[in-house]
Amino acid sequence: MLLIFWILIILGIILLFVFFGYYNRFAILGNRIDNSLAQINVQLKRRADLIPNLVESVKGYMKHEKSAIKAVTDARKALVGAHGIEQKVEANRQLESALKTIFAIAEGYPDLKANTNFIELQRELTATEDKIAYARQFYNDSILTYNNLCKTFPGIFFANLYGKRERQYLQIAESEKKKVDVKF
Amino acid sequence: MKRIDFRDQIARNKRKSVFLMFSVFVVLVLLGYVISLAFSPEYFFFIMVIAIIFSIGYILISFYNSHKIAIASVGATKAYKDDYKQYHNLVEGLTLASGLPKPKLYVMHSQQINAFASGRNPEHAVVCVTEGALEKLDKNELEGVLAHELGHIASYDMRYMTLVAVMVGMIAIISQIFLRSLWFSGGRGNDKSKAIFMLIGIILAILAPIVVYLVQMSISRKREFVADASAVKFTRYPDGLIRALKKIKADYVPAEKKVSKAVAPLFISNPFGKLSNTHPSIDSRIKMLEKM
Repeated sequence: MLLIFWILIILGIILLFVFFGYYNRFAILGNRIDNSLAQINVQLKRRADLIPNLVESVKGYMKHEKSAIKAVTDARKALVGAHGIEQKVEANRQLESALKTIFAIAEGYPDLKANTNFIELQRELTATEDKIAYARQFYNDSILTYNNLCKTFPGIFFANLYGKRERQYLQIAESEKKKVDVKF
Repeated sequence: MKRIDFRDQIARNKRKSVFLMFSVFVVLVLLGYVISLAFSPEYFFFIMVIAIIFSIGYILISFYNSHKIAIASVGATKAYKDDYKQYHNLVEGLTLASGLPKPKLYVMHSQQINAFASGRNPEHAVVCVTEGALEKLDKNELEGVLAHELGHIASYDMRYMTLVAVMVGMIAIISQIFLRSLWFSGGRGNDKSKAIFMLIGIILAILAPIVVYLVQMSISRKREFVADASAVKFTRYPDGLIRALKKIKADYVPAEKKVSKAVAPLFISNPFGKLSNTHPSIDSRIKMLEKM
């Protein structure tokens, strides 16, 4: 009788730990998703912050390229004003194509191309674009891990218990990695 | 692509690290035992206490400073962000892709294309690349190499690997000293038992480097493949690492003299030439990467 009692106690404790373990696992993975989302935003903001400097350094050289410069400033405005990650990433895509135009035009201005400030900004912008791509990749990876836990047994049982639902992936232009590789 | 779950691997590496530290402790105390019996049995107790204190101190110091020892042993210097922008940017991108904290970055003054990672956990990790790698590899190739190193960090490989390199490497040095001192103190006391203990001492000293060799061989081989796979997981671009490995293979630079042999397995490719077996062959790694 006493033995059965102890066995039940031990089983109960083990079960409790399993419940705690899964709760924590969901919490950790959920935090990871939130954190990676924050990372995307950090990089997008850094990108937006770089644009005024770029416009400043380009303005003096590209007197006749008003529309291209305006496209960049407009795209930046859209990025700063965007709400929600989908909108922001879409705005960033616009910005990226506007920037590509600027950099293509810059090819025709040897003085500008030799300007260290401009070179520096161009490198920084490319680097932030890479980082955004990586942050998005990690965001989707984190969601995949989370969703796998939600969908597979025994995770599915705990997901229902704790009211955790599958999360949505970020689904925008996956070929971005290629686009970044443009040689200037 | 097969997904890599680091959790099992991390647990395994941590377990192995604890086991390693325990083994080092036992070996050191045993060494103290042999030394005290061989040279001065009258101070046996005293020497044993010293040996135990020394081994614990030794293990703690090498555990908390292993990355510093590794960095110092190859003579690397800190890579400042202003001087190495691309290096920093690439690592920052990869930390975003992997969710790891940013490691401290170092540069090693060598013309070889090589790199290694070290540290006891991702929060105290260091990554070191050679000047040769920074100069000869293009952006995607360098990124592949750095991603490989971050793969080692993520899986806690570098904890185990650095501990092996530093702790066991040190044993080799210590036993070498022991062996040498035997040559000079051969005259005193001709007891049979003394001769036996000396023999054990000599055997131990001869065994130590062989143990180093065996342990080092058991470290790298599989781990390099796993780190290659995690590099691809981070970059989603196997070509970068493939091209880097091809460049490493084609690039002939004489063996590194400044580097201690004990840290060789830490590197992405063996700094002492392609013939030694601390690493799987570059061809087999390229083959694996091409399948991804």
